[in-house]
This record gives sequence, C-alpha cells and structure tokens, in this order.
Amino acid sequence: MTDTQWPIFEVFHQQSRGDPHVYVGSVHATDAQMALLMAKEQYARRQACVNLWVVPAGAITASEYADADMFLHETDKSYRETWGYKTPKTVRITRPEA
Amino acid sequence: MDTVFETPDALNDRTRAALIDLLYRLADDELIIGHRDSEWTGLAPILEADIAFSSMAQDEMGHALAYYHLLSELGEGDPDTLAFGRSPEQFRCASLVSLPKADWGFSVLRQFLYDTAECVRLSALAHSAYRPLAHLARKLQSEEKYHLMHGRMWVLRLGDATDESRRIMRDGLAAAYPHALGLFEPTEADEPLAQAGISPRESDLRKQFESAATPVLREAGLIAPPNAEPVYGGRTGKHPDALASLLDGMRLVYHTDPDAKW
Repeated sequence: MTDTQWPIFEVFHQQSRGDPHVYVGSVHATDAQMALLMAKEQYARRQACVNLWVVPAGAITASEYADADMFLHETDKSYRETWGYKTPKTVRITRPEA
Repeated sequence: MDTVFETPDALNDRTRAALIDLLYRLADDELIIGHRDSEWTGLAPILEADIAFSSMAQDEMGHALAYYHLLSELGEGDPDTLAFGRSPEQFRCASLVSLPKADWGFSVLRQFLYDTAECVRLSALAHSAYRPLAHLARKLQSEEKYHLMHGRMWVLRLGDATDESRRIMRDGLAAAYPHALGLFEPTEADEPLAQAGISPRESDLRKQFESAATPVLREAGLIAPPNAEPVYGGRTGKHPDALASLLDGMRLVYHTDPDAKW
C-alpha cells in the first residue's frame, strides 16, 4: 500500500553527549524542522535525550533483501574471532636465566 | 524590590491576598488550556500532531498542579479540591482558554498565543520576589520553550500554505486575539504585586506579549487585529458558557464520589 501521508523522516536519538545517535523510528512531517518537533514528542518525551537527527527517508540507500545471501558466512571464519584461537589454560611464565 | 519572600509567612495580608489571586489565575489558565488541548487526543490531523498536542496538554496540567501546590502552601486547600471542587464563577482563568476547541487552525493559534503569553510571564516571574514562585517559573521555562517552538511552527506553516489555510488562520486570529489580550486583564492585585516585586503589572506584560507575538504573526502573513478590544471578565469569574460545560465533563467522575481514594 502506498503511503498517502506526508513525507517520512527517519529519527536518530542521542541519549547523552558523545553517545552514538541510535535509530529509533520515523515520523511524518512536511519538512525537516517539523520532523524535529514531532520527533521530540514521539521519541524523546520519556527517555533522556540531548540531540535528535532527522533524515529524509529518501536520502537512505539500502541494500536489497534479495542480496541477503552476501552476508552469509558459509565457510569457517573462526579465525576472525578471538574464540577461534586456542590459548593454554595456564600461561607458563618463563623467567630469564639468572 | 529588594525584599525577598522565602516562605508564605514572610508576606503581609495584602500581598498574600494578591499573590493568591495571581496563582489562581495562573493555575486555572493551565488546567483549562490543558483540558481543551486534550480534546484533540485521537482527533488531530495526523498521529504525530496528535501525540505532540496531547503531550503538551499533559505538560499544562502538570503546570496547573504545581501552581495549585503553591496555593496549598498558602492555605487554600489540596490541589484536587481546588481543581475539581470549585464552582465555575470561582475560577479565574481568562476567556481564551475556556473557548471550545473549534478547528485545528484555531487551536494551534490559541496554543501559540497562550504559550507566547506564558513565556513572557514566566521570564518575569523567574525573578519574582516570592521565591517559591521564582523557582517554579524557572523550572517551567524549559518546557515552555518547546511549546513555543511548536505553536510557532504551526502558525508559520498554516499561515502561508493554501488559500483555505490562510482563511482559517485569519478567521482564527480575529476570533482568538481579543481573548488573548484578556490574559492580561488588570486586577486589584496588580499594584500590591508590582510593589512587592512579585509580578510586573498586567499592562506591562501585555506590551511584551504583543511585541513577541506580532513578528511571528507577520512572518506567517497574519496581522493581529489593530485596536482589538480585549475580552475581560475571566479574572473576576465571568466566563463564556463553554467553561461550565467543560467543567461538568472534566469533573463527572470526581463528583460521583469526591472522597474516593485513587
């Protein structure tokens, strides 16, 4: 179904300075300034917030779900993980000869 | 102006009576505008606008409660009884807040005018010689900042969108503006409050209000009616009929059992 309402803006919320802006949802608005004001009440009226971003949904380029297989890890990639390496239970400390 | 009143006991009888009168005006304005704005819950043009308007309505109710608490400290009774137990003629709200919600254009215009007035008033009260009021005013200022941005946003968008929106906003402003000026109805409390440094005179606040509202209205392509005759009466208990029916609805449940514990 097509969306007959106003343009959609995606909303990103920052809980405190220095934190990453986290995607929280979207709002309808005629323009970015209105989107900010709407986003404040939709997404920041309960949780702490110091900053909001709104981005026109059309500005986002997304990958295709049809291509989701490109994210699969079909072969052993354990070497990319710390758990992929065996370490001795106790580490023997060798001392230099006196 | 140098005397500061930290507690109710520091006030003389004349100042105390004037302060009580002021607090009833502030509290009742907030309670009734909060209720009126809440009438849009579920009905606003789009979901986002609905949530924002409803949330602001709750903010105003919260402000009312805070003012009723100050009245309680001055011996006026508990906040629930003040909000639900008084007759319409005991209310001191201005007619602007009593008017029915009408259309969305009128309601956002009223919200803009009301919150512009409130910002002006709170800026002054933040320096009130009555310390509990000054503290509260500073606290409320941060919420009012958003309310003003919201009202301004709608007035600018609708004032300059389509022929229909322009007409609705023009008619809404013509209807609302004289009532907005009524927010600054002079009362007998003006002199004692000004002398004690608790609040500026209403006539001074009205000038500041007009200076603050006019540029935004102009930017929206709207003109405040020149020589508008302010609608007075609310501050002495003479209200539009709409207030009585609002109170009947608001207090229906309360009056089934006023002593019920919630």
